[in-house]
Amino acid sequence: MHSDTALAPPPIVPARTAGILAVSGLAKSVPAGRQLFSGLDLAVAPGEVVAIVGESGVGKSTLLNILAGLDEADRGEVRIEGAAIGPLDEAGRTRLRRERIGFVFQAFHILPYLTLAQNVALPLALVSADQPRIEARALAMLEAVGLGDRGASYARDLSGGELQRVAIARALVHEPALILADEPTGNLDPETAGRVLDLFAREVRSGDAAAVIVTHSRATAAIADRVLVLTAGGLRPADA
Amino acid sequence: MRFLISLLLLIALALPAGAQERVAYPAVEPGRVFAFPADHGAHSDFRTEWWYVTGWLKAPDGRDLGFQVTFFRSRPETDEANPSRFAPGQILFAHAGLSDPETGRLLHGERAARAGFGLAEASTMDADVVLQDWTFKRRPDGTFETRVETPDFAFDFAFAPTQGEFLQGENGYSRKGPKPEEASHYYSLPHLQVSGTLTRGGEAQPVTGEAWLDREWSSSYLAPDAAGWDWTGLNLDDGGALMAFRIRGKNGGTLWAGGSLRRPDGEIVRFAHEDVSLEPVRTWRSPDTNAEYPVEQLLTVRLPEGERRFPIVPLFDAQELDGRSGGLPVYWEGAVRTEGGRGYLELTGYVDPLEM
Amino acid sequence: MSALPAVPPPSRAGLVSARLALRWLIAGEWRAHPARFLLTAVAIAVGVALGFAVHLVNGSALASFEGAVRSVNGAADLQVRAASSLGFDEALYPDVARAAGVSDASPVVVLDARADGAEFTLLGLDVIRAARVSPSLVGLNSSGPDRSRDSIFSAETLFLSRAALAATGRAVGDTLEVSANGRTVPLRIAGILDGVGEGQAIGTMDIAAAQWRFDRLGRLDRIDLALADRRAAENALTPLLPPGATLSSEDSEATRGANLSRAYRINLTMLALVALLTGGFLVFSAQSLSVARRLRAFALVRTLGLPRRGIVAAVALEGLLIGVVGGVVGLLAGWSLATLALRWFGGDLGAGYFSGAATKVVVSPLAALGFFGLGLLSALLGSVLPARAASRAAPAAALKTSGDMADPRKPVPWKPAAALLALGTLASFLPALNGVPVFGYAGMALLLAGGVAGVPWLARRLLGPLASARIRRPAALLAVRHVHGAPGEAATALCGIVASTALMIAMATMVTSFRVAVDDWLAQVLVADVYVRAEGAGGIDPEAQASLAAVPGIARVEFSRQLPLSLAPDRPPVTLLARPIDPAREGGLLVLVEGPAEVPAGTTPVWISEPAARLYDWSPGTEIALPLGENARFAVAGVWRDYARQSGAVMLDEADYARITGDATRDEAAVTLAPGADAGAVSAALLAAAPPGSTVARPAELRAFALDLFDRSFSVTYVLEAVAILVGLAGVAATMSAQTVARVREFGMLRHLGLEKRTITAMLGLEGAILGGVGGVAGVALGAVLAQVLIHVINPQSFNWTMDTRWPIGTILAVVAALVMAAALTAMVAARRATAPQAVAAVREDW
Repeated sequence: MHSDTALAPPPIVPARTAGILAVSGLAKSVPAGRQLFSGLDLAVAPGEVVAIVGESGVGKSTLLNILAGLDEADRGEVRIEGAAIGPLDEAGRTRLRRERIGFVFQAFHILPYLTLAQNVALPLALVSADQPRIEARALAMLEAVGLGDRGASYARDLSGGELQRVAIARALVHEPALILADEPTGNLDPETAGRVLDLFAREVRSGDAAAVIVTHSRATAAIADRVLVLTAGGLRPADA
Repeated sequence: MRFLISLLLLIALALPAGAQERVAYPAVEPGRVFAFPADHGAHSDFRTEWWYVTGWLKAPDGRDLGFQVTFFRSRPETDEANPSRFAPGQILFAHAGLSDPETGRLLHGERAARAGFGLAEASTMDADVVLQDWTFKRRPDGTFETRVETPDFAFDFAFAPTQGEFLQGENGYSRKGPKPEEASHYYSLPHLQVSGTLTRGGEAQPVTGEAWLDREWSSSYLAPDAAGWDWTGLNLDDGGALMAFRIRGKNGGTLWAGGSLRRPDGEIVRFAHEDVSLEPVRTWRSPDTNAEYPVEQLLTVRLPEGERRFPIVPLFDAQELDGRSGGLPVYWEGAVRTEGGRGYLELTGYVDPLEM
Repeated sequence: MSALPAVPPPSRAGLVSARLALRWLIAGEWRAHPARFLLTAVAIAVGVALGFAVHLVNGSALASFEGAVRSVNGAADLQVRAASSLGFDEALYPDVARAAGVSDASPVVVLDARADGAEFTLLGLDVIRAARVSPSLVGLNSSGPDRSRDSIFSAETLFLSRAALAATGRAVGDTLEVSANGRTVPLRIAGILDGVGEGQAIGTMDIAAAQWRFDRLGRLDRIDLALADRRAAENALTPLLPPGATLSSEDSEATRGANLSRAYRINLTMLALVALLTGGFLVFSAQSLSVARRLRAFALVRTLGLPRRGIVAAVALEGLLIGVVGGVVGLLAGWSLATLALRWFGGDLGAGYFSGAATKVVVSPLAALGFFGLGLLSALLGSVLPARAASRAAPAAALKTSGDMADPRKPVPWKPAAALLALGTLASFLPALNGVPVFGYAGMALLLAGGVAGVPWLARRLLGPLASARIRRPAALLAVRHVHGAPGEAATALCGIVASTALMIAMATMVTSFRVAVDDWLAQVLVADVYVRAEGAGGIDPEAQASLAAVPGIARVEFSRQLPLSLAPDRPPVTLLARPIDPAREGGLLVLVEGPAEVPAGTTPVWISEPAARLYDWSPGTEIALPLGENARFAVAGVWRDYARQSGAVMLDEADYARITGDATRDEAAVTLAPGADAGAVSAALLAAAPPGSTVARPAELRAFALDLFDRSFSVTYVLEAVAILVGLAGVAATMSAQTVARVREFGMLRHLGLEKRTITAMLGLEGAILGGVGGVAGVALGAVLAQVLIHVINPQSFNWTMDTRWPIGTILAVVAALVMAAALTAMVAARRATAPQAVAAVREDW
């Protein structure tokens, strides 16, 4: 830890030995009453990339939202780094997302009026005003995803693959424990998708983080350590 | 002879504005026969007139105080055809002062008004002058009474005559300069017995004392090259009364001098120009105006039996009246002692020459 | 990852630590849409500028009026004043001077004097009294042998204030022909009144000379008092005063001046605040759209961990910036505007309340702060409201959706609007508070808010039939569906324009109704053929009356007298009119709105104007007290309509007037020509027979003059209105183009579906026209309601006169047309940009 720990709040859960994500007995139905899934269990260890596949409308994105604390489950428990998120209030979950979770979206969501460096640094800028340090780290992250010289560029100057690399840099910039990715290659051609996924998996593993990728693409799922299929009855291993 | 200090301003202002407004003022001429009580009253045709009382008071605690109360009447140059009741045919002005050695300065107050509406009137029948809440009048029994009120003091005095009228100059014709028309009608009532109430700080106390009344009226006064004058009126302990003055020229010398002594037996000795001399003994410099006043003087008069000296010493030095904040001149008007008598000394024209 | 710089430690305080992110978001938006920021700031600036300028002008005019009051009064503690220019008997003076608590009293004759083209107040003073009571009015040089010390009692001596001296163009020592009260007298300028305030035209002379030379013997207009004990003096003086005199202090005189123009000033301030309100709506519109456009960006940062408050904070910060920039610019602009307005129009902005008062801008820091705060508040509210709505959106859903997820089946709420409208209506029926129609204005504000809130419902109602109709043309179909499906968005775009249109229509209707009413009234009032006026020329004395009546070609001549008559020291005087009255004969001034009523026996009948009836709460048949005559009793015989004298007027028969006051002078003659007489020749003959300085006018000229005066007094109103409308139109332009730009992807999609560029442009133009039309209809409807409040609540409560409604159809149509055109045009201009080739490519773009 850093020398100024005293000023910082204690990390939500220090122990990684228990696994980063632990989900048990999760159930969710849509407002109309249709059951999406129930009895869902999942455990993800540090350095592990898990892919969840399934048909459209089965609730993959909803599951991801529940994991991020953006949606509530009907039953069951989600623990991130050992701590249950259920009892957390809105502010607590916001803080959890801010500090322990990284996101990669299908549609990249790179803000067009910020520089790429600022986009990458955004998660850090939410918690600190130490601009030089933040920008230095954001540039280093861009470097790590192979865009070290594009920090001052804007989204419109980049291709889709490059944008998703920026998104990956943003997802990892604050050293989250858990990275959630929703169809990260949905908007990319297969070749680009492959390169981006390789980068993603490498970065996740090198940071000892855990990642959950939701996708309906077998190719995407292929880079995962485990592939699970989401059904109404929960997750089951994919029969490769 | 009394200088109408504050009225000076009004008179000066009333001086010729346009020839069409010239008012015919009667001239002062010798040989006039005085008739009382009418001559105690106003002589409205003359330009200037005053009822001027100065005197010494004894407070209940035995202290000596000086006081002065003066009512002036002036007839400015105005168009007599004006039928307005506000027409300024007569202007009245009054001035009261109190000299207390403990205060160390002169307390004073004043009133002024154009005559009319019963608010300011001067009767021609007898002494009866009303100026707002200030009055000076003669009762049927011959006693004069006055009432004045200022922010610092108020008094309500009766003056009982103990002697007859003392006609100054040649039977009341008093010359003020080398020219015969530079003169006034002038009589005095010395040795007036004072009784009444003096109120200071809201506290009324009975007082007694002795005063001197000067009555003077004229239409032309100072010679053009006069700067001011020194005047004194002294009630002598033996019952005698002495009045003396000198008119100072702008060059510093004496333009004119005069005066008279009425002995206890009533005999009057009239002084010619050369019979009177007033010599400064000690001066006092006013810290306010920086004027230097000869507050202590040696009065020498030539009597048939020989010269007689009256050293004049002030009750206290700071009896200067600075009226400039009210648009009035500065002069010194103080209670004085002499050997065998007490009275008042008036010193004018020491800051600026007076115009009249 | 060890090679990477360390992650900065997180801190707990969410918003403070997120300030860098907030700054990026705001700065990014600013860079991306500088015009939007500027426009909203300008809207606020315009509002603040107008409000501040009107306030400054009012304040400066009042300050100069108070300065004039102080100068003329010479800082007397208290005054006994004549109720009318007839003055009071000078015999009162000694009684007043001797009253308990009065330490000194200075009698004064007051004359309106003219000399060499200069006008000044000539005071006849007793310099000795004035020196003690009002020394600033005394102009003598106190001492010094070299100074000229001419007679202060001389009948020829005149002292002038510097302003008066400068106006005459003369120098000290010159002789001046001074005219007052019908007399002209040569006076010599003896000196300057140094104690009189800058810019005040005052002269003084001796009171006796003033009474004599200007024919005021036996009369006084004023007694200035120095007090020893105020309460004792007031108690002692009150029973002393005859009916023709009142007790008055400087305060009550200043109040009188303030009362005179208060209603007018309040109305101007309200108009200025309307501009500010419109600016606030514009900020709301612009920020709503901006927030809508940024919904996904906000959703992203929310997902990344920005607390909900952060969104509100970011938008509020934007609002704060807009408010600060707009406020500062507005204050500067307001100050400049006020300076210019004072130079061009004078302190009353042309309304004629403070004639002749030279005015300087007097800045009050508190007022500046107040208007800055109001601007800031409008900008903040306009920002926070949409931001709060945006922050409630679920981030996950908002991140997925693209733009407006309006559900066209969802019913539009109407209850809040109905409640606001009902409340506003109720408030409008409440009486005035302290002479100010507070509730009337509150009612207008509520109605306005309700009207704006009701726009979505109205849009759905109006477009309902259209939406269900079968529309063939794709452009029209899409346009109608879009507006119909998203009425909330439409309302956002429209609220600024609805508000400003409504107020514009309301003002225009009120002014039109007023003008028509005045015009009709003038036609009824001006029944004679020629009018001779001798006001200021000293009046028409009996001799002149005889020679006027003897002019050949005259069928009838009626003489009348007009005098200001003070009924209460803190109220402007009413006008006393004495003229031959034949109650049986309608016409002339006597257009009765109430009465005629029987008057009690032993009273003199008077007819009072409508404002007088309202101000003094008099009704026909009742006895009233007038400061006229010694023991005269008066009773109201009727109430007549009068738009000329806002402070009220009282009319009585000429014979009664002559009997009660003994005043034989008249100042106006209404001449009816004999049949066949040549009006021009008779006019010339009348002018020759009238006293010098008189004027002769025909009804047409008088009417033109009156209407010109009317238009001039409303000129500032017109300007303020126009500005409000311009701000509103700018709002439509801004919102239309912003909406269009926000829908670039939709257009890209439509282009991909095969719609022609022309069709899209047409669609947008049509949408704009529909929005403009809906806004226009809503604005006109709301404006009609507001106009009724103005005409039947605000006007009677502040000016005390009533009128009938006249609709300015032309103006209404023009405004609606301008609205539709402006909305359509700006939408089409925006559409050209939105359908440009690079924009079409945007369909694959993210934002």
